[in-house]
Amino acid sequence: MERTQELFEKIEEYLAEALPPEEMEAFENEMAIDPALALEVSKQRELHRVLSDTKALEFRKKIENIYQDIRAEEEAEKEVEEATTKKRTSFSIQHNSSSFSYWKIAAAFIVLLGIGNLLWNNLQQAGKNSDLYLSHYVPYPAEDVTRGHVVTKLDIVMKQYANGEYQAVIGELEQLTAMSKIEQLRLYLGNSYLNTGKEKEAIQQFENVSDTSKFYEDATWYRALSYLKLGQSDKSIPILKEIISYNGLYREKAIQLMNKLEN
Amino acid sequence: MVGLHYKMSNIDDRKIIEGIIADDDAVIEKFYRDHLPHVRNYILQNSGSEDDVGDVFHDALMVIYQKIGDNSLEITSSLKTYFFAICRNMWLSRLRVNKRYVMDDTVLTNIEGEDVSIQETIENSEKEHIYRKYFLTLSDACQKVLSMVFLDKTMREIAAETGYSEGYARKKKYECKQALMERIEKDPMYKELKKTTED
Repeated sequence: MERTQELFEKIEEYLAEALPPEEMEAFENEMAIDPALALEVSKQRELHRVLSDTKALEFRKKIENIYQDIRAEEEAEKEVEEATTKKRTSFSIQHNSSSFSYWKIAAAFIVLLGIGNLLWNNLQQAGKNSDLYLSHYVPYPAEDVTRGHVVTKLDIVMKQYANGEYQAVIGELEQLTAMSKIEQLRLYLGNSYLNTGKEKEAIQQFENVSDTSKFYEDATWYRALSYLKLGQSDKSIPILKEIISYNGLYREKAIQLMNKLEN
Repeated sequence: MVGLHYKMSNIDDRKIIEGIIADDDAVIEKFYRDHLPHVRNYILQNSGSEDDVGDVFHDALMVIYQKIGDNSLEITSSLKTYFFAICRNMWLSRLRVNKRYVMDDTVLTNIEGEDVSIQETIENSEKEHIYRKYFLTLSDACQKVLSMVFLDKTMREIAAETGYSEGYARKKKYECKQALMERIEKDPMYKELKKTTED
């Protein structure tokens, strides 16, 4: 059975007993000879009954949030524990080797600093491409997205992302995005691409966020900014219009940016 | 949530139930911290994942919440034993429905021998857990629109409250409900429950 808008509205009117008597009777007759329709009506009746209990829904939302907080805390503790174990092992190895190891560590540190500088320079260079992009772009904030068995790796990645180590997290995020159903990961991967000069890859990630996802509006905003960074403001404008009509969190920002683009 | 007519002997357990009724975050969080390790060990040792642990824990707590709501909660031993028995029966039941391997192959029993209706409650509430779980995965905008629909608000009221035009609100409502139903129907447990109901 094809679920059209018209069918949904008819079922809703039937369930709300808002159909005129003759249409009500005709609809009931139709259900009697069409089991698929009868099943669809029964599903929707059940859905309305369960989801109209807003207190139960709020309670469910609350307990899910509490659980997520506890999980994040557990993972952070696990990570600290793992880091402490590694530190102990590393300390023990250092004691068994020559003092030359210290020079190796120092050299590695300098290389890391160099990589950091290189990333910073790249970011700066990209930023010069568009003042407008720079004045509106804020990296998507790192939050707890931990769920399921990929959690430890993800937690480490999120800390690196929060530190602006975008290049370092891309590989892991690509794998995690392929493995996990968490759409928020696409925002992190997209932002990491965006900060490492891979705007087209970023756009692809933002486009892949489903329009029914709670992260769709975020993804749409970053898609508009990605085109702006590429200098393709003609592609940003219709996306900004969509954000404005969506009337959500990014509406004001979208209006400001639109005004600047059109002036 | 109005009922206070539950039967319970333990004072600490009584405080937990009262905390749930009062929507007290601290009490609920303590309940999770106290009972999660035990439930987690059991599920992980019996073919479950960390996602399953969360689902079973939330769903079992919803069973308690709803039994408080309809004044049918009767516990004569401890809440801990009662709650774990719900989790265990719920998980064994899900494993069997999904035909997955079970380490703990004991038969499902009445919980504590005191609340004979609980197994029936667990089975009957499975679809409700699935509906709520997927509703909460929808975007905030979809949740807002559908909540108003389920509370029987008119399209004019929904449009006024969301700032959408009536036409857009109508389209949004359709898309959100369609997305919700698709997500529910993709759930393996829902598919199995549907088969069982149709058999």
